[in-house]
Amino acid sequence: MMNKKHIQHLYWRVGFGMTPQQLHAISKLEKKQVVDTIFKASKKITPLQVDIAELESLMTGSAESMKKSIKDFQSLSREKTRELNIAWIDRLTDSEEQLREKTTLFWANHFVCEDNNFIYTQKFHNTLRTHALGNFKDFVIAISKEAAMTKYLNTKQNKKQTPNENFARELMELFTLGVGNYTEEDIKESARAFTGYSHDLKGDFVFRERQHDDGLKTFFGKTGHFNGDQIIDIILENKQCAQYICQKIYRYFVNDTLDETHVNQMVDVFHSDYNIEKLMRFVFLSDWFYDEKNIGTKIKSPIEFLVGIKTMVPLEFNNPKQLLYLQKLLGQTLLDPPNVAGWKGGRSWIDSNTIVLRLKLPSLLLNNAYISKAKEGETDKTADLQKAVFKKKFGKRFSTSANWGYFNSQFKDVAISDMENYLLVSHMNESASKYLNSLAKVSKQEYCVQLMSLPEYQMC
Amino acid sequence: MCTTYVVTRISNVLIMDRRHFIKNSTLASSLFFVPSFVKAFEQVASSTLGYKRLVIIQLSGGNDGLNTVIPFRNDLYYKARPTLGIQKNNVIQLTDEIGLNPSLLPLKRLYDNGYLSIINNVGYPNPNRSHFRSMDIWQTATDSNKYSQSGWIGRYLDNYGKQPYSAIEIDESLSLAMKGENLNAIATQDAKAFYNLSKDPFFKNIHNQYEHLNEHNLGYLYKSMIEAESSAKYIYETSKTVSSTKEYPNNKFGNQLKTTAQFINSGLETKVFYSSLNGFDTHANQINTQKRLLNIYAESIEAFVQDLKDNNTFKDTLILTFSEFGRRVNQNASVGTDHGTANNVFIIGDQLKKQGVYNNLASLNDLDANGDLKFEIDFRTIYATVLNKWLEVNDEKILNKSFKQLDFI
Repeated sequence: MMNKKHIQHLYWRVGFGMTPQQLHAISKLEKKQVVDTIFKASKKITPLQVDIAELESLMTGSAESMKKSIKDFQSLSREKTRELNIAWIDRLTDSEEQLREKTTLFWANHFVCEDNNFIYTQKFHNTLRTHALGNFKDFVIAISKEAAMTKYLNTKQNKKQTPNENFARELMELFTLGVGNYTEEDIKESARAFTGYSHDLKGDFVFRERQHDDGLKTFFGKTGHFNGDQIIDIILENKQCAQYICQKIYRYFVNDTLDETHVNQMVDVFHSDYNIEKLMRFVFLSDWFYDEKNIGTKIKSPIEFLVGIKTMVPLEFNNPKQLLYLQKLLGQTLLDPPNVAGWKGGRSWIDSNTIVLRLKLPSLLLNNAYISKAKEGETDKTADLQKAVFKKKFGKRFSTSANWGYFNSQFKDVAISDMENYLLVSHMNESASKYLNSLAKVSKQEYCVQLMSLPEYQMC
Repeated sequence: MCTTYVVTRISNVLIMDRRHFIKNSTLASSLFFVPSFVKAFEQVASSTLGYKRLVIIQLSGGNDGLNTVIPFRNDLYYKARPTLGIQKNNVIQLTDEIGLNPSLLPLKRLYDNGYLSIINNVGYPNPNRSHFRSMDIWQTATDSNKYSQSGWIGRYLDNYGKQPYSAIEIDESLSLAMKGENLNAIATQDAKAFYNLSKDPFFKNIHNQYEHLNEHNLGYLYKSMIEAESSAKYIYETSKTVSSTKEYPNNKFGNQLKTTAQFINSGLETKVFYSSLNGFDTHANQINTQKRLLNIYAESIEAFVQDLKDNNTFKDTLILTFSEFGRRVNQNASVGTDHGTANNVFIIGDQLKKQGVYNNLASLNDLDANGDLKFEIDFRTIYATVLNKWLEVNDEKILNKSFKQLDFI
């Protein structure tokens, strides 16, 4: 039987935490069974799509009429991007395919891309989901041919006569090898192999033979008439590629601080066939994944934080724009990365603004900004009044509906004194614990808000 | 002999933390209880230490530099912009060759006082014409083919900032420019709201016995929380001691500068302030949009400079205005302009070495393949100069590269 703490740890890393009922449902299983359940649930690939019919209709007609509607197209694209953002957050909260969704989120910050044509944005987004647990080589090749990517890193402008090295450089620096593991000459030569890449109006890949440089290229000591796929092949032969990807996965799914021995074990698994699913299975089955130093020691990303709250207490934003606004304030707006290097993650999520907001947010969203401070043995007399005052003053700015009924049903078998074991994965520091013990446990709802207002709640 | 020793010692302490020392040191109060002596000493210290501040203003969207600083004698300008060019008799003349957009009259007054230096043709090699990417390049100060996850002011904070509030962005969230590898600046446009958010007693109580601020992530969170609480309190309580009586234009940007002036005039120990004015992406019907925006900019800046002058803080303030790129020389079919390259940068202050027009406008008959201006001055030489000569720090350490120094300050 698997240790409860370990199950929670696993579910924070493959998803966004779990409620007590969800935990009890699998608490009798062995580790391998739990991990199998997770992978089985993610076998399916369910694309995330918002309606693009209106956009498509703007893309038909003569070149002249399309030119006229370009402004409408762009503003509608922006609107649709916001719609996909909201749909994605809902997906992260509700999906059965948890691991596929969490890895999609991971890859979205690895193969970073954005585009002002929403049709291409959505297509790219689902390519991430399709390959999230597949073969890494197929993944890189698919990414190199995505319309959004050929625009974002200028492969579209990369022509035999006028090469553009942008994609070739980032392919190696950010997507496969890491900085310093190639020469400027390697970039020049490989850029030639990616000439002729383009796409049609729908966003499907088009190879323009006449713009392709079919000459001999010398790349990593090999010479041939390489095309883009072959360049990717050669890059992946280099063990450094497996090393680079495994380090990134380790940082994201295991620990900010690398453990060389564990990473090397991962590299040996990954380099043989670049099977992402196999690699992830190896990680979650390893004993070291459950080491004390890896549990509750990562700082949640803004999305992990928000979706984590929603997992415990389902929450609707009456004005969805507020959800976007919150992402901006917290420093991570989905589909709007800072640049191709993506979000840095870890401690860089935290600054004076974001820590203050993060600590106050659960009470703002779930409890009319109220955090109970009634002393042990006292009743909380002012709570209702203070909540009403807040609601009157700021109710519009924090217009949310929290489903506490769901929360209470999920926690019905949990003693109030035991709640911290379900809401926190990290140990509570002594000072906070002393203070909380000096307070009255007014209700499960109030205690939940108190626990979520701790720095410990920021850990996963 | 004894006096010499004490003075040397004190000046060291003063340099480290003058205010703290004057306020709290029992040594000071017992040895120099004659108030006038302390006062005289404080004046000497403050004039030599001069707390210099930098205010950065970002014009987002790509301001059209050619219709901002106008070569009104150049036929090529009017040829490239038959309906968009600003007629000679409307231009505010600065020199025989160039003048300002008519909505920049307040800026002309600063120019006449010797408070303005216009640096023309600022850009960088291999320019990128995407807003996001080019803004990124300006904010991170990297080469155009490199990416960085930290900004130039952020790296200034990493190396020389003492507190998160050493740099403040007057906005609701932080720009990449203000994020360092280890330390981030603070974003706030409302010191009171920020303070209110942080001051729930619940947060104080969970850490008032917390002693082990260890190196782990949780310790880092507690440390950040404690720092944020004290920063929010410090910014609010310091800035509320002053309220500006100066009239500012009643718009978001005017309010940002008003807040900045309040922060500066209250003596907040902040070295860099950052704000932005959006909307310069004028692909169509540019004239009115740009007119409105430049007007907001110039009127707000004039009020800001006056406010600082009234409080004797202008002499220690340098204002740098930039945009991510200029626009194409030729107007487009919608009486607007498309994304271009080199642009002008404004430096405003009263300790300028080179006042007025720093360098000539780039030639309009030697354009690049896209029909854009060729850049002459790398924007990072301006950063390097400001870092080195104004903020008096090692610019190479922050820009990760050595750049030539200019002589506008």
